[in-house]
Amino acid sequence: MDIDASIADALKAGRDTLDEESGKKILASYGIKVPLSLLVTQPDGAADAFAKLNGPLVAKIVSPDIIHKSDIGGVKVGIGSAEELESALNEIETAAKAHTDNIEGYLVEEMAPAGHEVVVGGSTDQTFGPIVMFGLGGIFVEVLADVAFRICPITTIDAQEMIDELKTVKLLRGARGGIRASEESIVDTLMKVGGEQGMMLALEGKVTEIDVNPLIVSEKEAVAVDARFVLKRD
Amino acid sequence: MSENVRTGAGEPDLTERFRPLFQPRTYAIVGASTSKVTLGNEMIHHLRSMDYDGTIYPIHPKADDVEGLKAYPSLGDTPEPIDFAYIVVAAPHVPATLAAAKGRVKYALIVSSGFGEREESKGLQDDLLRSAREAGVRVIGPNCLGTYCPEGRVTFIAGSAKDSGPVGVISQSGGLGVDVIRRGSVRGIRFSRLVTVGNSADLSASDILEYYVADPMTKVIGMYAEGINDGRRFFDILRELDGAKPVVLMKGGRTEQGQRAAASHTGSLASDERIWLALAKQTGLVLVDTLEDFLDALLAFQYLTPHTDHPTRDVTMFGNGGGTSVLATDFFARVGLEVPRFGDETIRLLEEMNFPPGTSIDNPIDAPGGTMRVDDGRVAGRIVDAVYASGAPDALVMHINLPVFQVSYDQGADYTANLVESALEAQNRASGSTHFALVLRSDGSLEVEERKIADRRGAQALGVPVYDELPNAAGALAALSHYERFLQKRR
Repeated sequence: MDIDASIADALKAGRDTLDEESGKKILASYGIKVPLSLLVTQPDGAADAFAKLNGPLVAKIVSPDIIHKSDIGGVKVGIGSAEELESALNEIETAAKAHTDNIEGYLVEEMAPAGHEVVVGGSTDQTFGPIVMFGLGGIFVEVLADVAFRICPITTIDAQEMIDELKTVKLLRGARGGIRASEESIVDTLMKVGGEQGMMLALEGKVTEIDVNPLIVSEKEAVAVDARFVLKRD
Repeated sequence: MSENVRTGAGEPDLTERFRPLFQPRTYAIVGASTSKVTLGNEMIHHLRSMDYDGTIYPIHPKADDVEGLKAYPSLGDTPEPIDFAYIVVAAPHVPATLAAAKGRVKYALIVSSGFGEREESKGLQDDLLRSAREAGVRVIGPNCLGTYCPEGRVTFIAGSAKDSGPVGVISQSGGLGVDVIRRGSVRGIRFSRLVTVGNSADLSASDILEYYVADPMTKVIGMYAEGINDGRRFFDILRELDGAKPVVLMKGGRTEQGQRAAASHTGSLASDERIWLALAKQTGLVLVDTLEDFLDALLAFQYLTPHTDHPTRDVTMFGNGGGTSVLATDFFARVGLEVPRFGDETIRLLEEMNFPPGTSIDNPIDAPGGTMRVDDGRVAGRIVDAVYASGAPDALVMHINLPVFQVSYDQGADYTANLVESALEAQNRASGSTHFALVLRSDGSLEVEERKIADRRGAQALGVPVYDELPNAAGALAALSHYERFLQKRR
């Protein structure tokens, strides 16, 4: 995929971030697994989309004006039939129209297998430049600030130590009857964001922040369910 | 720092290139007076006290003679080129002083402040840099104090030790550099080189770090920094070093409040505290919070040889003071070190010694004054032998509460000397790689302090690092352990 072109298009359109679909395409081009998805422009494209994907599905609004999609009713999950998909898209359209007329379409995608929600991110430190972060999703990152940071590029040893240093690592390892997350997949994703060949260094000067949130980690794999790329304006 | 003056990384002559900075053969002083004592006059005195054997050239606009030395009107007028110029004139005069050098001065250290620390004076720092570049001078500072190198017989403070050692220091703050030399020397730290870099307008802390990495005289690196203005390069140098030499970093301005102080002190910007912790994990660098921790860690790295096959974890503690050793056991646990129970053989041997009541014969060994006096203090050797009987710990810390012996009516023997000597003999018999550290505790009274200074000197001569309290020893061993674990995992 042409990463430079999608960054240039976004900047030309006056955006500071890439849309979810473009972001996920970049992740996929780096070998990070993303759900199979289709962009549907109108709710009546539901039947066609449902036939091409394996349910259950998720549908999300695509609009440059809406960043926190689920807060405004822009996300529907657990969709099991073409009819359910069409009515979900109609509901999303109604909800979104309360906020904007600029609706580019709907991202319809397969649901990731059950797993732990974690966050892998990259940002730019004023002393060291590109850095990478890792934490468990939700309150663990936001409230408890249980997050590990490293300066790019990281090695696989660094990536494993990022996991080890989380206070909540026991949850990832199956405490309280949860599943045991594939740490190998987390290390792999961290390397693809913050390693020598990772996105943060490859896109340095163009992208200032990457937020893979959530990354769903099951016993076998890690799937990026949402991605945000913050672009550098000259 | 701009590209055109950057010190080339990996050039083969790095050690040669920095030689004039630390071992100058010609030393110019700009700012010494004929009528009063300025820092320039002090510097002439300091060089003489170090038996400096190069040539000192005072630079003075009018005088022919300063402090009994022939003076010259500008840096361009000296009979031979200058390796190092020490400049202590008011900030507005610095650019013209440098411009006069015309390619005849290799390094200039600018003491004067009033450059980049404040927004309105940044223009003057640009003028300084422009003059320096045009005149081909590399600049240390401005806003710093000096260089210290026993090998080159140069210093910037009175009473510096004349003997060299393995510790190379870079201090962004001049005053803290003075503390490091004076307090460090008393503690037994010996330096290869020390430089204060101030605002680092030209040569940065990273440039000096890169040189210390290459410098065969420097085996341990210590650094005080408020801001790193080329963080990417700093990180790359440390990554490339890959733990080949230990680096101890005392980072100022890690809290928001401290960042404000750093901004007005040396004009530094700062990163999130957690990034510095990340740096420590990724490079094996030891991060410390206080000057005391800094010196404690440097002392450990100078005296003890890191063992990467068994990073320091299990510690045996032995000495007089029950409460003290209980509190210390907690402290060791907090810094990630263990004070484990002894093996059966050790316990059996200690039991056989039939110590007076009140002696605890498990780790930590609490041996009251009466026990420590057995065999005139030589009992320490037998205790250490017993410890080794069931396997060597990673570290052995012996602590002595000096007043117990010093102010006692019982002066039948030199107990502290015998305790230390016999323990060390046993330590050498075991000939393992156990780190041995000594804690000499004082009550601060004159008589005990005097004894402590003498005992500390004796221990240093035997190659033993001496700490003031058990938590200091714990912090130093934890620093060593952090470095050893890095090496074990990555090399």
